[in-house]
Amino acid sequence: MRHGSDEQPRHVTPPGDAPRVVDQGSVWILVAVPSIWAAHFLLSYWVAAIWCAKAAPMASLVEPRWIIVGLGVIGAAAIAWLGRIAVRRYGGVFVIFEEITESSERGRDRFIGHVTLLLCVLSVVAIIFTVIPGLVFATC
Amino acid sequence: MTDEIDLSRLPPPEPYDEARDKAQRKRLLDVWRAPPGWKIISAVNNDYIGKWYLLTSFAFFTFAGILALLIRVQLAVPNNELFSQSLYNQLFTLHGTAMMFLFAVPIFEAVAILVLPEILGARDLPFPRLSAFGFWCFIIGGVFVCGSIFFGVAPDGGWFMYTPLSSNPDYSGLGADIWLLGLSFIEVSSIAAAVELIVGVLKSRPPGMRLNLMPLYCWYVLVVAGMILFAFPPLIAGDLLLEMERAFGWAFFDPDRGGDPLLWQHLFWIFGHPEVYIIFLPSIALIATMLPTFAGRPMVGHSWIVLSAVGVAFLSFGLWVHHMFTTGLPEISLSFFSAASEAVAVPTGIQIFCFIATMLVSKVRPSVPMLFAGGALAIFVFGGLTGVMVALVPFDWQAHDSYFVVAHLHYTLIGGMLFPLFAGIHYWYPFTTQRKMNDRAGTWSFWLMFGGFNLAFLPMHWTGVMGMPRRVWTYDLTDGWAVLNMVSTLGAFVFAAGFAVLAVNVLWPRGKQPPVARNIWNAGTMEWSAEVPDKPWGIRSIPYIHTRYPLWEQEDLMGQVDRGEWFLPDAQEGKRELIVTDILDARPLFVQRVGGPTFLTLGAAFCLGAAFILATFHLWTITLIFGAGFAGFTLWWLWTGTSRIPETPEKYAGRGLTLPTYAQGNRSPGWWAVFITMTGDMTAFMGLVFSYFFYWTALPGFLPSADRLPGFGWLLAGLALLFGSWAMTVAARGTLGRGQRGLAMALLVGALPIGALGIGAWIWAAWTQGLDPTAQSFDAMVWMLILWMGLHLLLNWVMHLYVAARVKFGHCTPEYRADLMNLTLFTHFLALTAVTTFALLAVFPLLMGVGP
Amino acid sequence: MRFSIYLTLPLFLAGCSGRHNWLASAGAEADRVEGLFWVLLIGAAVIWCLVIGAAVYAHRRQVDPSLETQARRFIIWGGAVFPSVLVGTLLVWGLVILRDITADEGDLTVRVDGERWWWRVIYETSEGDVVTANEIRLPVDRTALFRLTADDVIHSFWVPALGGKMDMIPGRETRLTLTPVKTGNWGGLCAEYCGGAHALMRFDAIVMEQADFEAWLAHEAEPAQVAAGDPGYTVFAEEGCGACHTIRGTEAAGPVGPDLTHLAAREKLGAGIYEMTPGNMARWITETHEMKPDIDMPPYPDLSGARLDRLVAFLMSLD
Repeated sequence: MRHGSDEQPRHVTPPGDAPRVVDQGSVWILVAVPSIWAAHFLLSYWVAAIWCAKAAPMASLVEPRWIIVGLGVIGAAAIAWLGRIAVRRYGGVFVIFEEITESSERGRDRFIGHVTLLLCVLSVVAIIFTVIPGLVFATC
Repeated sequence: MTDEIDLSRLPPPEPYDEARDKAQRKRLLDVWRAPPGWKIISAVNNDYIGKWYLLTSFAFFTFAGILALLIRVQLAVPNNELFSQSLYNQLFTLHGTAMMFLFAVPIFEAVAILVLPEILGARDLPFPRLSAFGFWCFIIGGVFVCGSIFFGVAPDGGWFMYTPLSSNPDYSGLGADIWLLGLSFIEVSSIAAAVELIVGVLKSRPPGMRLNLMPLYCWYVLVVAGMILFAFPPLIAGDLLLEMERAFGWAFFDPDRGGDPLLWQHLFWIFGHPEVYIIFLPSIALIATMLPTFAGRPMVGHSWIVLSAVGVAFLSFGLWVHHMFTTGLPEISLSFFSAASEAVAVPTGIQIFCFIATMLVSKVRPSVPMLFAGGALAIFVFGGLTGVMVALVPFDWQAHDSYFVVAHLHYTLIGGMLFPLFAGIHYWYPFTTQRKMNDRAGTWSFWLMFGGFNLAFLPMHWTGVMGMPRRVWTYDLTDGWAVLNMVSTLGAFVFAAGFAVLAVNVLWPRGKQPPVARNIWNAGTMEWSAEVPDKPWGIRSIPYIHTRYPLWEQEDLMGQVDRGEWFLPDAQEGKRELIVTDILDARPLFVQRVGGPTFLTLGAAFCLGAAFILATFHLWTITLIFGAGFAGFTLWWLWTGTSRIPETPEKYAGRGLTLPTYAQGNRSPGWWAVFITMTGDMTAFMGLVFSYFFYWTALPGFLPSADRLPGFGWLLAGLALLFGSWAMTVAARGTLGRGQRGLAMALLVGALPIGALGIGAWIWAAWTQGLDPTAQSFDAMVWMLILWMGLHLLLNWVMHLYVAARVKFGHCTPEYRADLMNLTLFTHFLALTAVTTFALLAVFPLLMGVGP
Repeated sequence: MRFSIYLTLPLFLAGCSGRHNWLASAGAEADRVEGLFWVLLIGAAVIWCLVIGAAVYAHRRQVDPSLETQARRFIIWGGAVFPSVLVGTLLVWGLVILRDITADEGDLTVRVDGERWWWRVIYETSEGDVVTANEIRLPVDRTALFRLTADDVIHSFWVPALGGKMDMIPGRETRLTLTPVKTGNWGGLCAEYCGGAHALMRFDAIVMEQADFEAWLAHEAEPAQVAAGDPGYTVFAEEGCGACHTIRGTEAAGPVGPDLTHLAAREKLGAGIYEMTPGNMARWITETHEMKPDIDMPPYPDLSGARLDRLVAFLMSLD
């Protein structure tokens, strides 16, 4: 897709290279995974904060608790979906410690996939951590 | 996307010709040489700015360290009468403030400005003049804030400036204003540096350095600069609210007028906690760069380190409330932050174990930098473990605001930040000066600092357990804290002695010593390809990079670079040139011309600094004059230094590569700079949005009744007009592209009155309903949002007139119209701000059922 | 590192006394944290030794390519899995303790209002509020609920020996429960920096047997016994002290400063910082700002001789 901001003077382009900003969504997937954790975290916090502020003190936390767990499940599912994309990018056998140093587009793509995959694991762990308080506390 | 750069398809370099080499070198030297004599202050090259930045940061570090020693002297014995209560309160406030804002963050920028371009094999960062501007802002603001203590008016509200202590002029004097304005000014320079570094990492990589080949240091810089972009703006929003309350009595933090002191704590710590990691990660980056050199092999788990850097960056934004565990928030809310605070230990652990794993599979050469790195590990791990403790809410209820926390934070910051930095000083000293530091003095300084540090801070944990609170200027013998404090004071002086040895070692004149060998540590990263003695051009020719450790893995790279066999070996046009590449694969996009030495940035920084300083004293008229001076210098700088239409549309860059000499839109670094700056600006705006919702959550009566809301119709009309103004700007971009210069100028100028009517309608909407910002927090919030929009619109108008003038005078043409594209991008963000503001002022009350 | 550990060891041992000590086991809440503290401290020491040991081992070990696998295990197990499990467990434990030590009700309720730089203390009893200042007495083995507020800036209420701290924030009310289990005079502090004389904002937290406490509270609820025409009270009234201070049972009903009805029954003067002696009292009145800088109470340097003696004698009689 070309935007107004892609146009160049006299339409000169470097040898064989179309403008490449963020096509293939390559970098954004890196940020998207932890962003899901961040969204879940903030939503959980807001749900609890609004619940505690707007309901009476000692309000039962049963309902927000399930909202938080539900959000956690949704978040984990979204991460799993991105994880699948990451696996496809990364390609092939899952070797935890591969050093992807080949100088090619494919190498770059596999690297991003690999880091994203690792971030998926970390983000799911972080989401689990965020859900724990929801399970421990029954009141505000 | 089929075009891999294929080495075998590149034409071979031209055969070496000594006469040509000499001529090229002379031309490069002429272009990149720094101005002679006193005019050196107009230099903008990263070599100079980086060094000055570094030395200035260390000067502030020394200053803040002396304050720390004074604090320790005061606390050495009970009931000490050495300093008065008032002076002591200033001492610790300024110690924390200077260490955080004038040392820890700037030093990251200093080191990055100094070494990042060289690690990237680039000649300079994409906006050298912006770096220079940032530096001058930093030094002016820093001297202003620190100097205040000599007049007895230093800030004395703690480095966190909690409201209402800081917001009520009855409780705090001029010091609070100095803190607010001085530091806002420095935050601006931090954000400028962040923009510079992000664009530098994304767009100034050498051809071929794909993301998977990018050195770890660059990953860290990217991550940290991104964090600055999201962490600093909320504080700037907070500063704005606080200064409005202090100067004009707007009701944001005063509970009697519907304000809430806790809002400040949220805004401050949303900045404050990521800040800790903004300080910590760049130093870890230094270790991650040094360790492979001394291990003689690549880092084990490269992608794991990238994971942990990105992971820490994100998680660190979920920790801020752990500074507010004792503020009585609901336990469940605290627990989320406790959870995130614990979770952040995981990526940190990965980071550390990657280092240990690298050591395991290699033989690390003993050296002073590695000695410091080892000390850093020992100290930081301990600080991390106490961090796990204080992240538990019940534990924190005891430890919070006690000396236990003082000990914890110094363990993390000195172990996680200062020691790696000292390691880096020893490591890059030969790179910067072509001389080597004395190893024996280095070892001495290490052991003095390591021993002194532990002597000072290990007992401090116990002082905390014994119940000593922070920020007390005196205590009684019967409290039982005397011996522990005396030991800490002794330790502090041993530590200071160690730093003195280090400082002497750094500053020792070594002019007569022979220069060091090239690539003295046998490192693999590009900065060590610099010739000895150093040349001002950064790199003789810009090579094609296809490995992670080019000096190890690309044979004879240094020779090829030196012989000018790679790109841009010459400066025929007498211009400073860089290669701009794309984000993913670093394909060459175009040749960027950057500005050389100038006094304009100095003038701009001076005027802006003067404006901030005068505002502290509420001298509004002169403030405005200097503000105008700043605008003048900046416009002059932009007019003469940016988006110059090249004399030829493309040029030969060597090795069969012909590149354009101009780019606009999303290929140009300028467009990305606007995009990134506006992202930061939106984050500050989000700080205001957060404040609005915070009030709504915390205060039951925040939303007033319908008759006290700004009029819906006027708000809607205003939005429509603001949208119209935006549409005209977008249309101008298209019309200019089609060659209709007159129409484009008309649209640009015509957008002004339309926008003015729009903001006027909003002001009218609030005015007619009698909203008084000094009376109620809701009213203050409404006016603040309108003010925010108005200030941005004002800036936008200046830009419109600027671009219209550029079109008029032929600097912005149908073909070369980067200025207009950048302006359009800015205006897009403005439209988003307008929509959000409308949603908050008009739609949200309606949804909550209080609308008309 | 090792050197300084040895050096501070005796201090650690010596440190187990002290009236502000978290580890004094004087309160049920502090006790829970104390248990957590020792586990965390020993755990941290062990982990620190393990990590540093691993680093030293990695450094000393001969280079051996077969170690690549071991190196990777290091990262996964040492860097990722072990910390996750450990901090996850700690998190749950910490949250459970948090849940246990917070309660919304107590056997008695005390309202404490933080002022610059002293404490207004109000006991809620069935017969109404009992107002005092700068000294908090509590019955042993009873849970006290503190309702904390602040008038001007943020303060923080902390009796380290009894339990954790809680901030006092203008415009909000925060709550803290403490259950003392040992009698004694435990120190209380303001933990949040509140400007000026923050360091001198202290109080005594005196834990008493329950019967003693009841007697004390009943006495505290009584008005002061001031004889008509008391010469010291006359000075007090003439100097306008009553504009700020209240002495129940007299005309002095100033709401600004601390309630003085049973002033002399308190152990300390000036918000927990000076012994309650006639000498200190006289100095407090004449050299107020030397004793505690920046406070709102003006000094009365011209008051001297017999008038000062009479005033001091009167104040010291308010028990």
